Amino acid sequence: MELTLLHLYPDAMSLYGEYANLSVLRRHLEALGVAVRLEKVTCEDVPDFTRADLVYMGAGTEGAQKAVLLGLTRQAAALRAALDRGCLVLFTGNAMETLGRSITDARGQTWGALGLADFTTVETDKRSPGDVIALSTLWEAPAVGFMNKCSTTSGVTTPLFASLPLGFGNEAEHGSEGYADGSILATHLTGPVLVKNPAFTDLIIRRLFFAKGWPLPQQLPVLPHEGEAYAVTLRELQARLK
Amino acid sequence: MRMFLAIVVCKLLRFIGKLVGKGSSLPGQYALKVCPDVLGRVKLPPYIIAVTGSNGKTSTVEMIAAILRAAGKDVVYNAEGSNQIEGVATLILSRSSLTGKMAGDVLLLESDERYAKFSFRYFHPTHFVITNLYRDQLTRNGHPEWVFESILPAIHPDTTLVLNADDPLVSRFAQGHDPEKVKWFGLERCSISTDTPRGVYDDGQRCPVCRGRMVYSCYHYHHIGHYRCESCGYCRHDPDFAVTELDLKAGRLVIGGGTEIRLSFRSIYNVYNILSAWSVCSLAGVEKAVMASVINDYILKNGRMVRFALGAHHGVLLTSKHENSVAYDTNLDYICATEKPCTVIILVDAISRKYFTGETSWLWDIDFDRLSCPQVEKVVLCGKYVNDLALRFDYTSVAPEKIVCYDTAAQAAQALQAAGEEDLYVLTCFSDRDKLLSLTKRED
Repeated sequence: MELTLLHLYPDAMSLYGEYANLSVLRRHLEALGVAVRLEKVTCEDVPDFTRADLVYMGAGTEGAQKAVLLGLTRQAAALRAALDRGCLVLFTGNAMETLGRSITDARGQTWGALGLADFTTVETDKRSPGDVIALSTLWEAPAVGFMNKCSTTSGVTTPLFASLPLGFGNEAEHGSEGYADGSILATHLTGPVLVKNPAFTDLIIRRLFFAKGWPLPQQLPVLPHEGEAYAVTLRELQARLK
Repeated sequence: MRMFLAIVVCKLLRFIGKLVGKGSSLPGQYALKVCPDVLGRVKLPPYIIAVTGSNGKTSTVEMIAAILRAAGKDVVYNAEGSNQIEGVATLILSRSSLTGKMAGDVLLLESDERYAKFSFRYFHPTHFVITNLYRDQLTRNGHPEWVFESILPAIHPDTTLVLNADDPLVSRFAQGHDPEKVKWFGLERCSISTDTPRGVYDDGQRCPVCRGRMVYSCYHYHHIGHYRCESCGYCRHDPDFAVTELDLKAGRLVIGGGTEIRLSFRSIYNVYNILSAWSVCSLAGVEKAVMASVINDYILKNGRMVRFALGAHHGVLLTSKHENSVAYDTNLDYICATEKPCTVIILVDAISRKYFTGETSWLWDIDFDRLSCPQVEKVVLCGKYVNDLALRFDYTSVAPEKIVCYDTAAQAAQALQAAGEEDLYVLTCFSDRDKLLSLTKRED
């Protein structure tokens, strides 16, 4: 069993320790006996999506996001082809915005995006960083994390999170957040989202196994400290709700 | 008349505040309500020096004040650390006459990166020192480029910028500014320089101007070094003020090829703090001999490094700015420079003392692999976020058998007190340091 994980533009889009998402995913997969090939695609490279089983991109500055967008939109057809054959796409932080139709920056300039999802994003000159508790449409345990964005995203009809008991959703406080459709999973949660949410990691593993047609193991690996760290963060964040 | 009233209000509230031991922002806050543009009306001293940046503001300001005072100048500065406009107003107005003339030769201000544009709306510094910009309290600051954009409106065309030439993002402040009004400080290639970046992440990979790939002829730490963009040619400026030799181990540096300085604190931060203080004080006309006499063996009084005893152990607590991976990496370097066997204690309990957050992403930006050295015999992890720490360490090269976890600082202190006599190094932030220090005997 072998899987290829493609990390898109870590030289520009890894602002909050996002590399850890792939480190943790890799370790979980290896615990299941999967040989993992982790390929980093820098801004100078042309990504080869034909062998990828998962394509990941994390958060960057607003400027870095626009810079990678120019190269990325040229690859839209290739990425769509990869999606069609079952490749999973996971974009976190403002990488999520690149999946939509367009991004309008704080100066009013509109940038064409990948067009893989039917939403649009508008940036502002105000930033609204904050802790998040999010209720997923795809798994039971509430997700925890942090959002560090200066934008609103409109037009999402299939969010990843139905609501946010704590935090700012796609376009409203406590509103729905992220995007989930077919093989695309996206959230504006920043940083090591998978590290913080073992249930999210499990979902990714199930999707990867399903796409390959591999039988899903009875028990997914439980690695040390992950459950305890999640429980403490959830407890602390829930205390903020009271 | 409104200026007069504002000054009276400020002086009165400041007097009452001192009597009851209250903070330094309130008098300025009320004075600004009485006369919003009062800071533009007061006659300020001939030198107004401001210092901003991610790290080193307080230390640099302290050092500048010490040097200028040694040079016989009357320096007024915000020693209480009130670095937003209200605190600045309190400082200025409480030192002003009722006719609106501020006393002193130099007004020296530590300026918050995000609030400088408010502080400098009605007046501007004659000299603006910008030390560095990197990942710092991102839960509050967004990211370094966001901070850059926040500082930009605070820069007046008449201000002389004193910039860190080795920081590509800081150097961008010079773009569009009169070149005659930009002075550079930097560290030449020296014993600590490396050919490849150290650390978990590298924020020097992309050009801050055109996003092209950058190449470095040397790195000093993180993205601080000698850079050049392959695409647009954006590159490090030759410094006007340079550290030309540095031996951190021996605690010695040379400025401008001629002046030797002894370092009491052997950290790369201290080198840049000294250099930036030297640069701006030179521009203010202080003689080299006076600056050298103050800086030699200069001991910071900011309490960031505290010696203590715990049972049979002797220890050093190193305070890092919270959510600041560069500060942690620098303190890790300090620990690893030791040659004696030691235990390192890392405490993460409250992430910030000023606001709540459960955000621990920054732990993944700290290069804990540096603790994978023979003299570090044990790593004690503790605090509310001990599991996040332990999880992070699962992805380092530190041997698992060296790691011990406790839920609280008290449990960790108790266990250490009961056994062993090796040296201790504590790595934590301002919000948590007293949780451990209060259980030890101070040795300073």
